[in-house]
Amino acid sequence: MSDEIGRWDRREVVTRLGSAALAAGAVLAGVAFFHDRRRDVPARRKVPDWRAVGVPPRVVAARGGEPAANVRRAVAALGGMERFVRRGERVVVKPNVGWDRLPEQAANTDPEVVAELVRLCLAAGAAQVVVTDISCNDPRRCFARSGIAAAAAAAGAVVVESGRLRLVPADLAGLAEGIEVAEAVLAADRVINVPVVKHHRLSRATLGMKNWFGVLGPGRNRLHQSIHRAIAELAATFKPTLTVVDATRVLLANGPQGGSLGDVRGVGAVAVGTDPVLCDAWGGVQLGLRPAELPFLREAEQRGLGRTDTALVEDLGTA
Amino acid sequence: MSWTTRIRVVYQAFFLALFIALLERLAAGDPRDLPASAFFHADPLAAVAVVLSSATLPGALVWGAALLALTVVFGRVFCGWVCPLGTLQQFASWLLSPRSRRESLAANRYRRWYATKTYVLAALLLAAAAGTVQTGLLDPLATLARGLASGAWPVLPGGRPVPGGWLAAALLLAVVISSRWLPRVFCRALCPLGALLGIFARFSLFRIARRGEACSTCTLCTFACQGADEPLGEHRPSECHVCLNCTTTCPEGALQYRFLPSPPARPAQPDLARRYLIGSALAGLVAAPILRATGGGRQVADPRLLRPPGARAEPDFLARCIKCSLCQQACPTGALQPAIGQAGVEGLWTPVLVPRRGWCEFACTRCGEVCPTGAIERLTAPRKTGYDGGEPVRIGTAFVDRGRCLPWAMKTPCIVCEEMCPTDPKAIWVETLEEPTRDGGTIFLQRPWVEPQRCVGCGICEHRCPVGEEAAIRVFSVGESRDPLNRIVLPVR
Repeated sequence: MSDEIGRWDRREVVTRLGSAALAAGAVLAGVAFFHDRRRDVPARRKVPDWRAVGVPPRVVAARGGEPAANVRRAVAALGGMERFVRRGERVVVKPNVGWDRLPEQAANTDPEVVAELVRLCLAAGAAQVVVTDISCNDPRRCFARSGIAAAAAAAGAVVVESGRLRLVPADLAGLAEGIEVAEAVLAADRVINVPVVKHHRLSRATLGMKNWFGVLGPGRNRLHQSIHRAIAELAATFKPTLTVVDATRVLLANGPQGGSLGDVRGVGAVAVGTDPVLCDAWGGVQLGLRPAELPFLREAEQRGLGRTDTALVEDLGTA
Repeated sequence: MSWTTRIRVVYQAFFLALFIALLERLAAGDPRDLPASAFFHADPLAAVAVVLSSATLPGALVWGAALLALTVVFGRVFCGWVCPLGTLQQFASWLLSPRSRRESLAANRYRRWYATKTYVLAALLLAAAAGTVQTGLLDPLATLARGLASGAWPVLPGGRPVPGGWLAAALLLAVVISSRWLPRVFCRALCPLGALLGIFARFSLFRIARRGEACSTCTLCTFACQGADEPLGEHRPSECHVCLNCTTTCPEGALQYRFLPSPPARPAQPDLARRYLIGSALAGLVAAPILRATGGGRQVADPRLLRPPGARAEPDFLARCIKCSLCQQACPTGALQPAIGQAGVEGLWTPVLVPRRGWCEFACTRCGEVCPTGAIERLTAPRKTGYDGGEPVRIGTAFVDRGRCLPWAMKTPCIVCEEMCPTDPKAIWVETLEEPTRDGGTIFLQRPWVEPQRCVGCGICEHRCPVGEEAAIRVFSVGESRDPLNRIVLPVR
């Protein structure tokens, strides 16, 4: 210690300067370590391509039977589910479970169509089949009242309501910033898109390509500002193993959630295919809309995502 | 631990677990018909207050009479064996405050200001008679349910934020933590339900009796006395929680919980000063009109005071709502929030629907199903939606803000509101028109219009409107079914 004010001995000078240097060094090291440490943007997951290799683009329609029988016949005509789902794969079946409506109201995919797909996937050796969708209404009510939760679970699927989904940033370059995607879908080996055919005021029809809205999180409502481009972009981003268009019942008006049974027409048909654009073109016809009347189909065809000539659909007719 | 204590702890743990489990099932949306509001149905404080304010005893609240009968037979067993908030305080007191014997004796001594709860009760009941139910502010069951619904569930993983909930959570926390300094001080000094039960406990058939000749005045009985009811002195049945700690700790066996013991020489009177009692009752009476004057929607409808579907007209609603937050906990979309300012001081913590937080699910009737007092009437889905052929139950009307709406203000397609609209046919319809654009071209636009006769005010349009913070379509209370004068248009006939 110094004996009087103003006079420090060497030992104290060294100690003080040393500790000051240590403190300054620690601060500098901290600054150097933390400065702009998290400059990187969060990693965006790439959306995988779920298509089966070596399968030509085809669409097969079956009508007349029970919904499950239609699905079975159409899938068999495409070569059976084994052609698309391999042993041990994890499959996501993505129906439209958007609304708190009963199956008769045709706002959601028919539960029997979903259940039959689950059974076919499991029979083909799938390790796990997840049925999920990000609903617009309260997901608990949507999954319960649509009949999909019960039917899919009975068929052996894992039913995940949107409240239990984890959303992650994904590479949606052509869409909008900040929209996240359900991780369970991105993590799947195979994805089967199962839309229902419905009227929609803005896009005129909501079919398979629009059904991808249901894997997107908050912010998807901004995509309506350019709906046809957004739908084509979704088709370019999400490439399903199969598209199964459910026209068991179609909703002709007050879509996409309907309500009145007077707006529902029983068509009793299902189309299964590997050409998502052609699938939607077929779906539009079930609503009485020619492909030329649906701009998103034209846009998708121009981008080379598929074809719109509905004469290419192989109709198996009634059973 | 004696066997009576063990049994009591089992009871307390069971009822606390049951209370929390019922809240958890509500939040999880359990579709089964569970007795979610059973605790509140047996709450005689709610029953008395609602009877005083609305001159009717709604349905299941008659179970409050069962609790009063139980109290007349056994004393305040509800407080010591059932009340989940009492259990939490007792647990906090045990956990947070290891007291020495001397400190415990001091902490469990009776204090004259423990009579405050009776003054609080008098003020609350007189206010109820004057038309404003405020018992929920301090009702122990409401305090606990509200504090958990607003403070605990929102911070659990996956919980929905309740911006106004911190105040309710803070009250609950304060009640529980205060036991660190004085065990069960809320029960002893503030709880209006305890005070009400205490009035009946004075006449209880079973009570603690002391055999004076056996007592060595060792004071061990006071050591763990929950109610601070002086088992050693002139025992006060109106304060006693019947925890039975005194009977089991007495080394001489001088204290017993017995049927109709011989009365003491001078029965303990409640420690009430008549002028305070009259004063607090008058305070309640005077506070009532002042509180009613603050009511946001009482005389003049408030534009953003959206009440749950089936809610009664504002004065009737406020005459029944006990601020228990069960509706908020049951709401599947998180739309119901505890009011902080929207309903005036009087309506603090009453449920208000905030569309930016959630929407009223079209066919959902859960809030009315769990409301213990019928402030929100029980609806069926066909009745609420109008599918039974009647008028649907409306909570307001949506208005398009043409200055913010994309097709109206920015010539940009959108109509998400129309897509979401749940009515059949949709209350939101669109007009299609071809509009010139800035660069000389044209664009097809669909502009949304609201048909007020169809709109039920569910608010899903406002919730899902893509225009950032403040939506371009907003719901206001005008058109709500519960107020026939808060209207815009004549109904279609």
